[in-house]
Amino acid sequence: MLKITGLHARVAGKEILKGVNLEVNAGEVHAIMGPNGSGKSTLAQVLAGREDYEVTGGSVEFEGRDLLALPAEERARAGLFLGFQYPVEIPGVNNVYLLKAALNAKRKAAGEPEVDAYEFLALIKQKMKLMQMSETFLTRGVNEGFSGGEKKRNEVLQMLVLEPKLAILDETDSGLDIDALKVVSMGVNSLRDPKRAVVLVTHYQRLLDYIVPDQVHVLSGGRILKSGDRSLALELERRGYDWVRESRVA
Amino acid sequence: MSLLQHSSAAAARPAALRSFEAQWLGRDADALSALREEAMERFLRLGLPSTRDESWRYTNLRHLAAHGFVDAPRAPAGSLEPTASLCLLGVAERVATVLVVNGYPVLPSSIDLSFNGIEINSLRELSRTDPGLVSNYLAPASDADVARWRLLNTALFVDGLYLKIGTRVETPLVILHLSTAEVPDTVAYPRVIIDASANSSAVIIEHHVQQGELTPLCNSVTQLRLKRGAQIEHFRVFATGPKTTHIDSMDVRQERDSRCKQFTIALGGGLVRTSLEAHLNEPGACLDSYSLLVGHEERHVDCVNIATHSAPHTRSHQTARAIASGSSRVIFNSKVVVDAGAVQAESQQSCRGLLLSPSAEIDTRPQLEIRADEVKCAHGATTGRLDPDMLFYMLSRGLDRETAQSLLVYAFLADVLTGMSVASARAAIENALIAQLPDSQVLRKFR
Repeated sequence: MLKITGLHARVAGKEILKGVNLEVNAGEVHAIMGPNGSGKSTLAQVLAGREDYEVTGGSVEFEGRDLLALPAEERARAGLFLGFQYPVEIPGVNNVYLLKAALNAKRKAAGEPEVDAYEFLALIKQKMKLMQMSETFLTRGVNEGFSGGEKKRNEVLQMLVLEPKLAILDETDSGLDIDALKVVSMGVNSLRDPKRAVVLVTHYQRLLDYIVPDQVHVLSGGRILKSGDRSLALELERRGYDWVRESRVA
Repeated sequence: MSLLQHSSAAAARPAALRSFEAQWLGRDADALSALREEAMERFLRLGLPSTRDESWRYTNLRHLAAHGFVDAPRAPAGSLEPTASLCLLGVAERVATVLVVNGYPVLPSSIDLSFNGIEINSLRELSRTDPGLVSNYLAPASDADVARWRLLNTALFVDGLYLKIGTRVETPLVILHLSTAEVPDTVAYPRVIIDASANSSAVIIEHHVQQGELTPLCNSVTQLRLKRGAQIEHFRVFATGPKTTHIDSMDVRQERDSRCKQFTIALGGGLVRTSLEAHLNEPGACLDSYSLLVGHEERHVDCVNIATHSAPHTRSHQTARAIASGSSRVIFNSKVVVDAGAVQAESQQSCRGLLLSPSAEIDTRPQLEIRADEVKCAHGATTGRLDPDMLFYMLSRGLDRETAQSLLVYAFLADVLTGMSVASARAAIENALIAQLPDSQVLRKFR
């Protein structure tokens, strides 16, 4: 589904990604872990199409298409979703407007008719219930005045409504208490199926207790230094990231 | 009422000034003549404001100075019917529309008209029957440059509207100001006086539009007095064509516990200059001023707001949103003055500008002048482009760029729109506004 080969990228003139290789197949959940500043968020933003992040080398294929040639909005319509680490507040733009516009953009790209207003509301309410969100959400501006946890739930809600083929969740677990973490994990797990894939970018092993990954990668210094199964995450927690860097050098 | 003492300097005066003087000399005497003469003398002595004057720094009127102006025509009653497209509110939603053409009200023959608690009079008639009442409103404004054009209006307005609000009026009253001319270089002096009785309330919408290609130079003045406990929501909406020059001065005086919501909305015109001078004269007076200034194509919008707190426990909030696209320029200057003794005064100035093109310009300047202790005054001003993080967030959800940008522009205006308490007025203004924003087709879908 996703094939990243030798990806290099710069942010504000500084090289952050220095040759990332990663392949994610349909049905799989991958976790990308790594210390602060290792390039995890940059990778997520580059994949979503952020313009001020400059790709200087390498390629990314998404379902056989050249992902890097598409603008952000077309990547989204093709089925890629980024759950933001810090979702932005957009006062004055209603949550429901945004979601409806997003869903309709996707449907239009797929040649489907616009969603019926009544059905849409029913769909949102059902997903909100799953995410244990208050109905006041419906009348508020996008993420406006939301707590950190509410913002993350909103990201997962958007994902559930848009049903992407590939979801990249950038530290969706950070700042969540244990109850919120369970809710968010349940939301992500409900989307798991053989046709979809999930990439979890995370700092902590804790999330992987609830969303069990097929593969775990360690990103450090702009490269993936080590890949393994879930036990790698547990080992990282026990031994820290220095262990990976040192073993690589040795 | 000769102004001969000025004649020696007359040759050096710009053509515009000479033509204003000629208009003055051609006016018939009326009960207000003494006050008018004083205003005219002061105007001629002070001259046209220039960019050296504090409140005119950003707006140069030099192009007017070389023109000689004559009075814009008075339209006979019934000869002009504004087309439906000019009306802001649907027929069912307004209590009444009063048509004013080039400053002259077009009223049925009776001089005492009442619409559900609003008494409507012609200023010309009223200055015959009750000159004392009108004189009260013509007391000379200061020499301040911000009030300069008001002096000229006082000297030269021939007719106008006097509204007395006697009770709580539920539905809005629209004053449709129609500008029209058959020849170039005409000038109009619309004058509106609104007198809100104690504990009365009303929504008044002054809507400036044009009919035909040519328009007069418009020098309009609105005075609003709120007696004890009165609540007035006043709109002035500028929606004329791109060649119009409009200078509008507004003066608000508030008594104890009165509440004024004032909306200044610039959606049209070539050069629009508006001023608001609000005087919070007694304790408990509250002013909420909202300015929504849309610079479009070549438009120049200059808005000056001054709120003066002269009593304790007064409150003023000013919210301004400026958008500039094309090669337009928008200026917003607001000032809060807290007089000595106006303790516990509270004021806020929030001004935000949004630049939509590289050749547009926005200048904002909030100012404070505090002569009292124990006051709470806050101000903030920012100008920038669309937030790239917000834009990327929406793009990453699959919205196309046009839609995302339009929604962000619209959201930027939300703080002003949500202040409007009459749904029909808000909807009408939103409609007119959307037509001026980029990608208006896209935006209409989201309303």
